[in-house]
Amino acid sequence: MNMPGLGAWFDYTVNGIVIGNIYAMLAVGLALIYGVANLVNFAHGSVYVVGAYVGWAAITYLGTPLPVTILCVVVVCGLVGVGIERLGLRPLHGSSRIAPLLATIGIALVLDQVVQLIFSPDPRAVPMQVPEWRIPIGGGTIGPLDLLIGGIGLASAAVLYGFLRFTKLGWAVRATAQDSDAAQQMGVDINKVNMAVFAIASALSGISGLLVGMYYNQINPAMSFEATLKGIVALIIGGLGNVPGAIGGSLILGLTESYGIALFGTSYRNLFAFVLLIAMLLWRPNGLFSGRSSLPPEPMTGTFIARSRPFRIPPWAVAGLIVAAALLPLLNNPYVLQIGVNSLLYGMLALSLTLVAGTVGQISLGHAALLAIGGYTSGLLAMDAGWPVAVTIPIAGIVTAGLGTLLVFPAFRLTGHYVSIATLGIGEIVSLVILNWSGLTHGAIGLGGIPPLEVFGYDLGSVEGTYWLCLVILVLLALLQLRLLSSHLGRSWRAIRDDSVAARSYGVSGNRYKALAFGFGGFGAGISGAITAHSYSYINHETFNATLSVLALTMVILGGLGNVMGAVLGATLLIALPEAFRGLAEYRILIYGLVLLLLIRFRPQGLMGTV
Amino acid sequence: MSDPGEALLRLDNINSFYGPVQVHFDLSLSVQAGQIVCLLGGNASGKSTTMKTILGLQRPRSGTVFFEGQPLTGLTTPQIIRRGIGSVPEARRLFGQMTVRENLLMGAYTRSDKPAIAQDEERVLTLFPRLRERLKQRAGTMSGGEQQMLAMARALMGRPKLICMDEPTMGLSPLFVDRVLELIQAINKEGVTIFMVEQNASLALGIAHYGYVLQTGHIALEGPADELLRDPRIRDAYLGGAAAA
Repeated sequence: MNMPGLGAWFDYTVNGIVIGNIYAMLAVGLALIYGVANLVNFAHGSVYVVGAYVGWAAITYLGTPLPVTILCVVVVCGLVGVGIERLGLRPLHGSSRIAPLLATIGIALVLDQVVQLIFSPDPRAVPMQVPEWRIPIGGGTIGPLDLLIGGIGLASAAVLYGFLRFTKLGWAVRATAQDSDAAQQMGVDINKVNMAVFAIASALSGISGLLVGMYYNQINPAMSFEATLKGIVALIIGGLGNVPGAIGGSLILGLTESYGIALFGTSYRNLFAFVLLIAMLLWRPNGLFSGRSSLPPEPMTGTFIARSRPFRIPPWAVAGLIVAAALLPLLNNPYVLQIGVNSLLYGMLALSLTLVAGTVGQISLGHAALLAIGGYTSGLLAMDAGWPVAVTIPIAGIVTAGLGTLLVFPAFRLTGHYVSIATLGIGEIVSLVILNWSGLTHGAIGLGGIPPLEVFGYDLGSVEGTYWLCLVILVLLALLQLRLLSSHLGRSWRAIRDDSVAARSYGVSGNRYKALAFGFGGFGAGISGAITAHSYSYINHETFNATLSVLALTMVILGGLGNVMGAVLGATLLIALPEAFRGLAEYRILIYGLVLLLLIRFRPQGLMGTV
Repeated sequence: MSDPGEALLRLDNINSFYGPVQVHFDLSLSVQAGQIVCLLGGNASGKSTTMKTILGLQRPRSGTVFFEGQPLTGLTTPQIIRRGIGSVPEARRLFGQMTVRENLLMGAYTRSDKPAIAQDEERVLTLFPRLRERLKQRAGTMSGGEQQMLAMARALMGRPKLICMDEPTMGLSPLFVDRVLELIQAINKEGVTIFMVEQNASLALGIAHYGYVLQTGHIALEGPADELLRDPRIRDAYLGGAAAA
């Protein structure tokens, strides 16, 4: 750690405030949306990217001056916001609270992919529209861009304040946020309020994206996820739904990041943000500016279990399917077999998630981190300690079970939205620790040359070998999970999901059972990650990213939450189907997003039914 | 227009459910214009569901609500409010973070005639002088009785023909209960019809013209308020029987 000089501190402070301003324009919108709709909008960062690209296109192709550019961004993003409300929120009125959240994740996937298809995934430079002078102050400097961003931030806050305070629609927004039933009884049309709020929030988010593009002089479609996360972190610091709090939280986040970079370097920046997130969730879940330290009860907690009768497959048919799967290598088609391997590996992940998210009702958005822990454990033990693969893989399962449970343990007292946000944050932290703990994990270089699969001298590195190994493990895990679900343990899990208060009053200690679920789930996911690492032979901190977590969740919902056969089916379908239409490879994420959206809207119980 | 014999509000054979549980069994009642009508009943008798059904917050499985002779079927709550129905919800449900004045103006949300709204604000503040002193105060910081007054004032600001009140005296000190009842009568004298749901039968019947008694989703008893007050069944069930006599 080296201490920068005073002038540099001034620069870091200015930088922190500028970044804070940009975050504020994201977080204020998230707070407004949470206020009126009780929803954390995961598509918010995607709108921000749309804003950045609309601005870029306007400047590049039309040569618009800055005010016109901003106007273009406001109009397009406002309309996108209206669309999100119509598609992701309104049709889901009356379903469980997590449903619209999942819908916004689906919308985010779709929007990101559309931007990528239109503008290509390559980064673009946003042409400078401001002069290049800088004013020296107290050893540091301030440039016109800093002032512009600060000015736009202040102006937006002023306009928003005026709107909420002095206009009728603004009153309706505040009234709806405080008590939407009562607002309706005053004649407020909630749909109109929601639509207005989504339009405003999205316009602000779009401006934020444009400003970021100008500040860093670079935009790319992949920056949406980080923007969503940063907005959510700022939102949580300020307190969900608290608009002034969101501004305060954003400035705190911006300064924390900037000083963090000053002291520890750039790669720690996001780690600071997410550690701050988890700390807030644990100690001040209502935000820094609220007196209460306990969370308000959520009327309908995080479960997304649509009532349904699960589709039963008779045991002989299951046995038949297993035999058929075992005979797949006889086709002698390595391409098909590789898809089979991928399906089986994802199947293990889906089994794990369907237990945690379906049976116990903890909608985890960070499940890919378990794969990362498993992959790194096995890879490092085999490479750096030289242990045989047959030993490292089961150890990876055990380590993942323990470490995964330990990491989420502090989040066990959270429910609903908070679980999803916390698991997402924990997942990011795992990836960032892998990136920064170079001494153990080889850091950004990743693990190269991971030894291939072999068990007691038998080489399983071939596709057939990997396939059979995965099939055996998946069948064993599935049978074990079925056995557990029909036991006393399974009943306790479902009791916690359906009514945690009632379960507790019957003496079922929520935390211990949640720990067992995450432990068992972690074991399967860790093994899946380990096998993946050995068959890829190279992994890095981004191999198991958040998109993969969302994909796993989509598989699980497709199969039917909590449904063991469903999880395997969901994984197989989502892995194999896009391969069947190989021409659609670049639309893959788009398809996943649409599948997620359609499922939540039309078949929340999935194909096989929830259990 | 409705024909002269038609009640202002009429519920016709309402059957409603809460999840799998039936709350109303062929519930029918009517409210004549200009009157104070009360619906009495104990816990879980279906009183609040009746209110929600009228306001469109809950849809009945069968049956129709008529207002001024027109069915309200399929209308959303805001649309029903715009027809001329005001609501004083159970537990008041004020906008606690907003000022008293902002709460009053929220009551006039469906209107756009600014001069008339200003007039009504003045009229309402004359009726509730307590609120005039507190116009800039946050509604959530007032006492329960003051909040109840604000809730009634807020409903009046929409210039409704009918105000539905859900347990207006609940949780108030005896002093405020009397004051609230007086105010309900004063509002009624200005020509606003009142339909109120109450647990406290003697208080409600004391100011009402007509009453209904709801028991497990059926109308068990109905009649002019003074007759109900003398009815031995009411006395036994709601007024403490012989002890009160």
